Amino acid sequence: MRLLVHCLLLRPLLRLLFGVNVEGREHLTGLDSFLLVANHNSHLDVLLLFSMLPVRSLSTTHVAAARDYFGRNPMLFRIVDYLFRPIWIDRQDRTGDPLGEMADHLRDGHNVILFPEGTRGEPGSIGTFRQGVGRLATVLPEVPIVPVVLCGPEKSLPRTSSIPLPIYNTILIGPPQAIRGDSLDITESLERLIRELSESEMVHRHRRVSRVRDAEVIAVLGIDGSGKSTLSRQLARELSADARICLVTDEIELYEHGEKKEVQPLLTELARGVIARQAKTAKSLGRYKIPKMAEILMRDQLIGQVRRWYSPTRIVLDGSPLLNLVAWSRLYDDRELDLATCGAMIRVLTGYEGGLDRRHPVYERFPQLRILKRFALVMPDLVLMLDVAPDVSMQRIRNRGGHQQVHETDDKLARLRAGYILVCDAVRSEFRVSTRILDGHAEPAAVTAAALAAAREPRRGEPAND
Amino acid sequence: MGHLIILSDPATTTLLAALLALSLLAAVARFGNVRIPGGAYAQYLWVFFLTFAVAELVSFRVAVWILAALSFVALREYFTLVDIRLQDRLGVLGAFVAIPFMTYFIQIEWYGMFIISIPVYAFLVVPFLVALGGGQAQGTVFSVGVIVFGLFLLVYCMGHIAYLSLDSTWRAAFLILAVTLCDFVSARIPTTSGHPLLRRVARCVAAVPLTVGLALLLAGWAELPVFHAVVLGAMIPPLVAIGNYTMSFIETDLGIKTKRLRPGKGQVLDCLESFLYVAPVVFHYTRYYLT
Repeated sequence: MRLLVHCLLLRPLLRLLFGVNVEGREHLTGLDSFLLVANHNSHLDVLLLFSMLPVRSLSTTHVAAARDYFGRNPMLFRIVDYLFRPIWIDRQDRTGDPLGEMADHLRDGHNVILFPEGTRGEPGSIGTFRQGVGRLATVLPEVPIVPVVLCGPEKSLPRTSSIPLPIYNTILIGPPQAIRGDSLDITESLERLIRELSESEMVHRHRRVSRVRDAEVIAVLGIDGSGKSTLSRQLARELSADARICLVTDEIELYEHGEKKEVQPLLTELARGVIARQAKTAKSLGRYKIPKMAEILMRDQLIGQVRRWYSPTRIVLDGSPLLNLVAWSRLYDDRELDLATCGAMIRVLTGYEGGLDRRHPVYERFPQLRILKRFALVMPDLVLMLDVAPDVSMQRIRNRGGHQQVHETDDKLARLRAGYILVCDAVRSEFRVSTRILDGHAEPAAVTAAALAAAREPRRGEPAND
Repeated sequence: MGHLIILSDPATTTLLAALLALSLLAAVARFGNVRIPGGAYAQYLWVFFLTFAVAELVSFRVAVWILAALSFVALREYFTLVDIRLQDRLGVLGAFVAIPFMTYFIQIEWYGMFIISIPVYAFLVVPFLVALGGGQAQGTVFSVGVIVFGLFLLVYCMGHIAYLSLDSTWRAAFLILAVTLCDFVSARIPTTSGHPLLRRVARCVAAVPLTVGLALLLAGWAELPVFHAVVLGAMIPPLVAIGNYTMSFIETDLGIKTKRLRPGKGQVLDCLESFLYVAPVVFHYTRYYLT
């Protein structure tokens, strides 16, 4: 009965509605038992993989599925349990031994399908593999591992959407692998294999290259007293030798041929100045928060206005509104930020790839994001982080004299610095934005030279290679 | 007796014979282990002839939905190839819904509504749906353009073939055969030098004697006066050349490579391109002068 449902209902339906292309089917012939490892983007993945298997393997193939997700709906749970006879994994309650269960199945000569990303990742990107697959492979080194890449489900039924679209899916089956080494090595080499396989398919994809690029945005990050204002001004002046550079700092400056030029004032800029003064004189973090947030959002608006009214070739930002906002959340939230949360926040704030699912946990942690997601903040094309130890920068702030802002204490600056470094990591790894961390203790001339070199590197349309 | 009546009509017999021959060719190309040059092309040609046979023997109302299915397959491939943003999904869905919307008007033979169904209603609804998808405003014009173009070429132009076969099955069959002939001849003529468009036109124009001959041969069944048959026969090859030239740019942009052709990777578009560009012109020509 199960087989009939698979062969007479699911397979024809998939082919009629979505269209399935299988490439490399020959890699599966002659394998008695295998561990199939695939990327995971959509609920369609399991259906597609089952539709590609030989009919006789249908009853001896088991897929690892998340009980905590499917268990929420008893009806769905029973259907999935009946059709795919999955190995249930509870990602919250880790009492069971799913790996042992998988190993048992493999020893019995059955096949196991595993999605090492652990969850449906962001549409079109492959997440970091978890080590379970490596551990399983070290226990059973004789079982061949078949890497498979699914292209198309991320378009036809991505995680963020509930409407399936009829779009052809391609299943690329790679040659079976026998990888030796410890579990970390195996996991990493599998991840690399799947990425390469996916790359071989993705290079043929149509991309919107004709999009008119706006002026490139270079953001200089750093804690207060790190010298980022000085660096960004220096950078703007140097870069302006053969271009029109707009510097957005506490005021807007336009540079051409190394000279500062007079500019028409912008209304937003004047309003922002007033609000910024409010923030600078705030006595507590609570009082500081609202004007600072407003100031940050207006500063982001300014990037658009500057592009429109001054048409610069490049824009140098003294602190990026987007990245500052993310890094600053560390000041108001005692819990550690991790890379995934950081990436999720950036995704919401930029509206990158349509943002995130409404139920994503990041919204619970930072409820403000529900409002802020409307703003679609600007993602810089190059991020320069000027890294200075908090005690050094405190010393510089004291030497400078004048009013000291509420967050300018050793402890808070240390947190902020950690936040900035994390943000840099997140934009580099998840959004492929070039980032450089510059040593702020070095000679100012050396720092400027390093920043200039980074700014002059060709970047457009190329993934970051550092 | 019924069978004999059908077979006694030479037009229907020819249609059935063509369908049978194509069925064999398409079946071998699809399921056999041999590679036939133009095998994939034969499969789509088979779909057209299946439509015509169904229109003659069963009902035009059924046949039109076969072409709608072909539109669906082509549109599905197009959306697989183009770069759509996540937020455009609603617009893409709207494009798919436009297929039954338009096909229904062809089925009930409501010409006025068919001709505005896509250029008026769908073209107004799709941008709205794309905007409804929310997200970043940047790239909206591009997305709307991408969706609307696919809808126009793969659904609306296909609709013209359907409506042409409503007027006369053999007129539509003539269009398909003439375009095939043109593709066949131009693929076998060596390339000369000059502008790529002129080269294509030169190769296609070599097929003019054949297409004119075909038009005269089928003029009786297709109810074409001799003058118009000659004009159509002479008009189709240059139109095919222009269509192929245009589509070659689009295919290159979409990353379609001749070596990787298969359904979902450009095969459907590659096989249908010549028909789609010519169909509206031939349809409106015959409608203006002959209906």
